[in-house]
Formats: sequence, structure tokens, C-alpha cells
Amino acid sequence: MSYLIALMIVFIGFLWQVSLDGIQRKVTAKVHRRVGPPWYQTFMDIFKALSKSSITHGFIYDFGVMMALGGTIATFMFLPFGDIVAFNGLDNFFVVVYLLAIGSLGMAMSASGSGNAWAGIGIMRALTQMVAYEVPFMIVVFGMIHVYGTSSLSELAQIQQMNGIFGWHIFTMPLGAIVAFISLLGMLNKVPFDTPIAPAEIASGPMVEYGGKHFGMLMLQHEFATLVEVGLFVNLFLGGGNLIEYLIKYFFVYTLVTVIYAVSARFRIENVVTFFYGVPIVLSLVQAAIVIFTGLGVNV
Amino acid sequence: MNFTNDTKELISILEKSLDIKDFTTPKKNEISIVVDQNNVPTILTYLKDKGWKQLSMITCVDWIEENKFELVYVLFNWTNGITFLVKTKIERENPEYISIIDIFPGARYYERDIHEFFGVKFEGNSDSEKPLFLELWDDKPPMRKDFDPLEYSKRKFPDRKYDVELSKNVVKEVIKEGGINERT
Amino acid sequence: MNIFEEDLNDTITFWEKIKNIFRGKSLWMLHYCTGCGAVELPPTMTARFDMERLGMGPMATPRQADVLLITGYLSVKTLRRVIYTYEQMMTPKYLVGFGSCTLNGGIYYDSYAVINRLDYYLPVDLYLAGCMPRPEAIMNTFKTLENMITKGEANGWKKYVENYDWYRNNQIRSLGEVYVKDEFHE
Repeated sequence: MSYLIALMIVFIGFLWQVSLDGIQRKVTAKVHRRVGPPWYQTFMDIFKALSKSSITHGFIYDFGVMMALGGTIATFMFLPFGDIVAFNGLDNFFVVVYLLAIGSLGMAMSASGSGNAWAGIGIMRALTQMVAYEVPFMIVVFGMIHVYGTSSLSELAQIQQMNGIFGWHIFTMPLGAIVAFISLLGMLNKVPFDTPIAPAEIASGPMVEYGGKHFGMLMLQHEFATLVEVGLFVNLFLGGGNLIEYLIKYFFVYTLVTVIYAVSARFRIENVVTFFYGVPIVLSLVQAAIVIFTGLGVNV
Repeated sequence: MNFTNDTKELISILEKSLDIKDFTTPKKNEISIVVDQNNVPTILTYLKDKGWKQLSMITCVDWIEENKFELVYVLFNWTNGITFLVKTKIERENPEYISIIDIFPGARYYERDIHEFFGVKFEGNSDSEKPLFLELWDDKPPMRKDFDPLEYSKRKFPDRKYDVELSKNVVKEVIKEGGINERT
Repeated sequence: MNIFEEDLNDTITFWEKIKNIFRGKSLWMLHYCTGCGAVELPPTMTARFDMERLGMGPMATPRQADVLLITGYLSVKTLRRVIYTYEQMMTPKYLVGFGSCTLNGGIYYDSYAVINRLDYYLPVDLYLAGCMPRPEAIMNTFKTLENMITKGEANGWKKYVENYDWYRNNQIRSLGEVYVKDEFHE
């Protein structure tokens, strides 16, 4: 039964995220005062990429793509999607974070298997950026988990719903929410943190050798990774809710990301690292200290 | 003319000590001298000491009626903004000249360029005969006046054959179908 | 070359029709500019004419691109790189020649370094006349190309596979040797 629910979640998530991605392209176009593509453009792109031919650069190259896609879809199955939890009791923060790394590692493995020098630079940048954004994010979330004594995402979401709208962590832990949102920008690889895939500098980085079907699968992987990352933020800081509430919150978070993305420029990689190790890490430490030592902002 | 006294002095020294055949000022802030081909390295070294530290360009002119190549060294001085053209003529048959990479190391690529387009060989530049711009060139150097680019282009790159009547009909058809006015 | 056998048949199957709809609605162009026509592409891409509403966008690598634009005159040296790039692209792929230089050499008809007609070396799906074409003309071309793809008429890549020997002989006749061999690639 839970497998059926998981498959259903994957299907709904795919339709939702891909059409939302098209809508976000429309939003970006409006910010730029353009017309923009139709909302179904991302579907067209993915299906077209899957309909093209592609070449292989060896076993690792093929296997890594499948590992990235499979690992990310598996991660998404463990995430509470609204109030739907496919595998009860396994919707754990640590499960999600560890499984999400499989997707990134699969992609890193596959891209280095292609043997292109740009891919090597892109992977190095992606992993450097990962080290940068994960530290402040983890400090905030670990403070939260330490106080509540649970790491189940659905429980953390339910705790926030006890005090109504002002029980959400975005209001009770504003510093932590700001840090987590900045880290979310880094996770999504959107401007200003799209250093790993900078098309103008390193020819789209790890993606440089992918074409046709391989690239279509990586586009899918990117959509599912976005579902997981935005979903984590909604569950941890906006209190989850039932399916409709969840999707509305998701929409607002993702649109905010897009509006920032539409008007900003790109960081250099060393600036990304020094940026994340500067103000965000201090804010996250302050937030964790407040939560652990004073108990302010905790719904008990 | 807004040459400073230093420059006038320099020119008089050059005229006295070295054998300068011609001296002109083609433009404001530009001095041009014609020298004997043996004197070029001496004059370039002297000018470099005097502040003309940048070698902007080396170029070559094909005087086919005189049967000579003229090499032009363009130097620039960043303190007073005066350009110095040092010109010299060499033989057109089996052209050979001395390299100046000991004075201006940046000349290495200009000399390769001139070898490729005019066939002048520079002694002392080890890279002189390596190809730079033209890949797999199989004809005489293309910037010489006796090279015929049209003939080369016709031989190497086939042209399109046009049927004039047919093309008129095609234009009529496109206009009739509204192909040109179709809105996107 | 990596091509499905069934794609080479002339008949268009039901699945191919569906594929052609997706291919026509989403065209990624390779951001590789060869001549002065490149200057007309920024206005086509940005807010004034907005290429993205046709589903087009620039791509940084030939592996992901569908359409290669030869924007203007093509020197022999560039032609080597263009052939290299065209063969790296994934099928189906389309080639558009911009301006009169790709048609008949344009003002470079007598140059020793510029080729005179592009379709002698690579299969061109669509030519765009003008020196240089305005962004309106470019948008019109893209729209025409999308219609051709949807109907299954843009078959340059099939022609290239079927007549590979003819194209390769022409390339060798003009270039001597096709592959890039200079001091920076050794």
C-alpha cells in the first residue's frame, strides 16, 4: 500500500513541479518585461530531450545518471508531501539528507566519468558550494531537533500547527528561517548561487557532456531535487499542513526564489564560501543558542 | 606640431649619428623614419632606451614594382604619446631578415604572422616558420600582390550556380503565398 | 554517429509525429557565433523580441543544442570547428544559415579564407537572406523552422548521414584535412 502511495506522490509531484517550473519561467519573463514561454514549456523541453539520441562515455557515465535520478526520486518518497506520508515513521530528517547526497554523488560520479575538463571544474565547484551552504543550515536544524527530541519531519511540521499561524518557525525562529532560506537558494543552484553550472564561464559545468536522453533524465533529477529542497523548507519552517496548504506554501516559497533569481547576478565560488561562512553561520549559531539555552521560539 | 624639446633633440641626434634616409611626420604625434636595413636593431635599441617601450606592431608592405618588401616597426611611447614608425626595405626575392625578439620579445608572433602572409623569413626566431593563422596553407603567401584571391577562391570554394528566371519565379511565388508578410 | 535506424525511413510514424510536436516547440540553439550576424541575436533574445516565447534558448554546449546558427561569413578555419561541432550535436539537429555570406559568399566572394556556399559542406535546413537580417526576419525564420520540424520536413541531419561521402569529399576538397590540428590542440 505504501508503495502505491509513494508512486502516486511521485506522479503528482512531477506534474506539480514541472508545471510550476513553467509558471516560474513566465514569472521571470514578467520581471524582465518579456512575454515568456507558455506554462507547459518545461514539459516540452523534458519530453523533447528524452526523444533525442544520446551517446555514452562508458558504464560509470550511464550508471551515475540513473543513480542520481533514482536516488533523488527515492529521497522524495520519504519526504512528507502535505499530510501524505508514504513510509510511516521513516520520514526522518537524517534519511532525507543522507539520501539526497546520493543524487549529488551520482551526478558527480557520472560527470567525472565523461572526462570533460569543464565537468571536473563544475563538480569541484558544486561540492565546494555544498560544504558552504550545508553548515549553517545544519546548525539551525540541529538546534531545532535537539530541543524537540525528534527528527521526524511530519512531527516537526505538526508541532508548528499547534499555535496557529504564529506557531510556524518562520515567526518563532526568524533568524533561522532567514539562514535556511539563503541556504535553500544555494541548494537549488539558482542565481546568485549558480556557480557550479555557470553557462557563460564553464559551459554549464557538470552538464557539459550530457545530451539527449541523459540530459532529459538530469532535468527530471533537478525537478525532483527541487521538490525535496523546497519541501524541506516548507515542512521545517512553514508548518507543512494538508496537501492544498502545502502546495500553496510551496508556491510562495518557490516564487520568492524565482523573483530573487530573476534580478541578481552570479557569485564567484570563493565569494560563495566566504559569504556562507560569514553572516549566515553567525546568525545560525545565535539562533541555535537562543533555542537551546533560553527556549524562546519553541512550541512546547 | 607639439613635439617637446626632448623629441627634437632626439631626432637631431638620430640624424647625426645614424644614417637616416628619410624623415617625415605623417600625422600629429607621429614620426616616421626610413633607415638602412642593417641599422634597424641599433635604432630600436636606442629608441627603447629613450622610452618607446611598446612594440605596437610589425607590418609589411609589398612594393611589387620596385621588387622590394618594406617592413614597418610601430613603436609607442606612453610618457609623451608619440608613435614612431621605423621603416626599412628588403629584397623581395628570397626575403630574409634578422629577428628582433632579443629587443622586443613580443615580436615573436608578429614575425610569424609576416612569414605566413608575405613569406619573409626571420633569422633568430625559432618559431618563424610555424603556421599561425592559416591552417594547412598550400599556395604562395596570400598577401603578396601577385597572389590572385579570386582565382584561389574559385578553385577551392565552389560557387552557387544561379538560374535567373527560376529565382524570379520563386520570388513571385513567395509573395503570392504571403510568405514574406507572415506574422510570427 | 548515433542514430536510430527507424528514424532514417522516409515514412513518418505515429510516434514520430508526437516526437516532432515536442521537437518543434522546444528548440535550443547553440550559442556559437561565426560572423557579424551575431550582433542581431542579443535583441532577438532579450526583452524586445523575446526568443523564449517560441521555446528557444541559448545553450552552452553542442551536446544539448538542437539548432546550430551560422551567423554570417564562415572562414575556412572556422568551418573546421563548425563541422566538428555539428557532428558533436545529438540528432535530430538543424542548421540555419544567416545572411548572404552563407548563401554565395556575400562581399567575401573573392576572399582566399572564406567559403562561398555552406550547403556544399553541411546540410542546411533553412537560409535567411539579408546582410544582415533584422530581428523580425530572424523570428520569422525560427517560426518557419518550427513549422517545418512539426511537419517533419527539416531533414538535413538525415541527408548528412545518407550522403556522408559526398559531404566529406567536399570538405576535404576545400579544407585539405577536416580535423583541428594546431599548436593549441596538440
